[in-house]
Amino acid sequence: MASLVQQVFRRKPVTEMTTETGADTGKSELARSIGLFQLSMFGIGATIGTGIFIILTEAVPEAGPAVIWSFVIAGAVAGLTAICYAELASAVPVAGSSYSYAYATLGELPAMGVAACLLLEYGVSSAAVAVGWSQYLNQLLDNLLGVRIPLSLSQAPEQGGVFNLPAVILVAMCAFLLIRGASESAKINAVMVMIKIGVLVLFIVVGLQGWNSDNLADFAPFGFAGITSAAGIIFFSYIGLDAVSTAGEEVKNPRRTMPLAILIALVTVTTLYILVAVVAVAAQPAEQFEGQEAGLATILENVTGSTWPATTLAAGAVISIFSVTLVTLYGQTRILFAIGRDGMLPAVFHKVNPRTLTPVRNTIIVAAVVSLLAGLIPIDFLAEMTSIGTLVAFLVVSIGVMVLRQTHPELPRGFKVPLYPVLPLLSIAGCIWIIQGLDGITIAVFLAWVAVAIVWYFLYGRGHSHLGKHEHVGLPHD
Amino acid sequence: MTMIVGYAPDERGKSAVHLAAMLARASGDDVVVCAVVPAPWQPGMARVDAEYQAYLDSVADRALDEARALVPDDIAATFLRHRARSAPAGLLEVAGEHAANLVVLGSSSAGVFGHVVLGSVSDRLLHSSPISVALAPRGFRCKDGSTVARVTAAYDGSAHADRLVVAAADIATRLAASLRIASFAVWSRVAYTSRLGTEPEDLVLQEWTATMGERLREVRQQVGSLAAPPRDVTTVIGHGESWAAAIDDVAWDDGDVLVVGSSPIGPLAQVFLGSRATKILRHSPVPVVLVPRGWAEELADQAG
Repeated sequence: MASLVQQVFRRKPVTEMTTETGADTGKSELARSIGLFQLSMFGIGATIGTGIFIILTEAVPEAGPAVIWSFVIAGAVAGLTAICYAELASAVPVAGSSYSYAYATLGELPAMGVAACLLLEYGVSSAAVAVGWSQYLNQLLDNLLGVRIPLSLSQAPEQGGVFNLPAVILVAMCAFLLIRGASESAKINAVMVMIKIGVLVLFIVVGLQGWNSDNLADFAPFGFAGITSAAGIIFFSYIGLDAVSTAGEEVKNPRRTMPLAILIALVTVTTLYILVAVVAVAAQPAEQFEGQEAGLATILENVTGSTWPATTLAAGAVISIFSVTLVTLYGQTRILFAIGRDGMLPAVFHKVNPRTLTPVRNTIIVAAVVSLLAGLIPIDFLAEMTSIGTLVAFLVVSIGVMVLRQTHPELPRGFKVPLYPVLPLLSIAGCIWIIQGLDGITIAVFLAWVAVAIVWYFLYGRGHSHLGKHEHVGLPHD
Repeated sequence: MTMIVGYAPDERGKSAVHLAAMLARASGDDVVVCAVVPAPWQPGMARVDAEYQAYLDSVADRALDEARALVPDDIAATFLRHRARSAPAGLLEVAGEHAANLVVLGSSSAGVFGHVVLGSVSDRLLHSSPISVALAPRGFRCKDGSTVARVTAAYDGSAHADRLVVAAADIATRLAASLRIASFAVWSRVAYTSRLGTEPEDLVLQEWTATMGERLREVRQQVGSLAAPPRDVTTVIGHGESWAAAIDDVAWDDGDVLVVGSSPIGPLAQVFLGSRATKILRHSPVPVVLVPRGWAEELADQAG
């Protein structure tokens, strides 16, 4: 019987992981087919669409017009961690994202902690995004048909409603697609990205007509603390740059392409966001942002005095947020699948329906929980929870890069973090800095949530872990 | 037993006759080659209809003469002309008269060579025939004396597919052929934007493959414990990003016949081509036999 410390810090060997998933055996060998442009599009596509449409409403009241700087800071931190992701992804090319990286580098208990963070990053964020979708759908219906979904059916209880029905319907639709076996090709993804970018450019061009320098007069009413605090919320809208790193196995010439694609995506996204933020805060006094539904669309409506730009924006948002909910929900089911496969969740999570080839029960459970969250909890709280979960996951990845350099210096790495160890350290510092700027209550709830995951680990995961029982899953060893 | 071959005077008929010969050689069944001609209308004064009818009959007779030349000497076949309102109805009437248990058809000439292509007659029969339907790929030919070497049963892991496999095993035993149980994993790459990379889907696929492998082992054991199991039973899983690729992935040979079951949404006593079966059929490079659900159950009960 291994000692407790050995047990909770046992690491899953990287070779075991790669054998399990057939990464090196050629069983599922992937063609290196993705080029720089496509990869950058993945990054941009994964990033734009979650936050920017809905986040200004939350961030501007915190920082005032200085929210522009919040965007820069959040972007820089996101970029640093994305580079760390790139190295880990190229060294440990397995499913499960940072959960698997943590399992391989830090041990079982930290991996469970990261899993708790990822539940926030994916599960809670799909709920948050679904709530944002509901706001835009309402806006679109109002503009097109002149009807609105009654408040009681389109808002969480705390905001005066009863149940956020559109958000729940969206989650249900996505779950249905996932059960049927959703597969989106890279081409469709690229088209969607173009729509998203087009919509934001439209906002910038039209919103510029409403420029009023007076709105920028009181630039940073809450000082530096306000900027940091807003950066924490905005960070939510930069999640997705790490998508670039996860395609490491399929990229042509990864050493050059990966960092370049991350930089291109980062610069494109940051530029767009900052332009959107500048235009928005210049067009509308800062105090009006608070509590505004479908913020960007409302701004355009006030600027032009007509509804068509707002309608276009709302339609673009409805399409793009739909796709985002779909992929975050997808991500959540697959992470739970990976955890279930390691034995630390009940077997129901890694059961595959033989007919549809999808984890049906897993998807239904996830969709049910996400629906409840989306229906009952307001968006600002969801957004903050997502931020902190992601930040901690990023933190772990940045630490993981350094751990893996020490423990497995010999592993082949398609991409190495430049300026090691400065960049990972900066990334860690950045994450911690943003975390401490978040609401005290958010941090408290987050710690409680991680504690729940750890209790779960000791009650269930520790005893059932396949690694602990020396059980082998997946493809047989050669 | 008897099988009915729907014969039309073109290459479609030729492949149907070749398939019937291969099946009959294995099973020893009688073959009835049937040309269906339109039924006469009400007789009129001008006897125009009768002339037209006589012409049709002569065409049919010529077709049957051709068929006679096509059927190999070692096959006992009868040839008949039948009048009916429509070709599928006529074939089923003849099948009823001869207590046949199989209708053999060729592929439509509208598709590519080497694949099974549905025409109007086969489409109608595949969704309503009370007896099994065999379809030859377009341009199908079998060498003289060749017989059914292997029966492949398409298996999707459902309980009702278990029964189909047992029924297919029974057919294989009767044809003195080996049995292969095949499943198809059709999956494609998913969205990259979920930030998980492309591997999670491989994980799901592996889990599916493992589960399916387990189910295949079980059903194989079930077949092995039959009173008269086929001489050889193998299992295979075809992987691919499309049905065409997945079906290509399992190797096919001369003398192969693919058996697919009817969809459980159709009536028990008739064949009904389900959506998956349609895809399998469309990409099958070998002759396909679609069996009614009720008949498969009956066969499985007898065999078990």
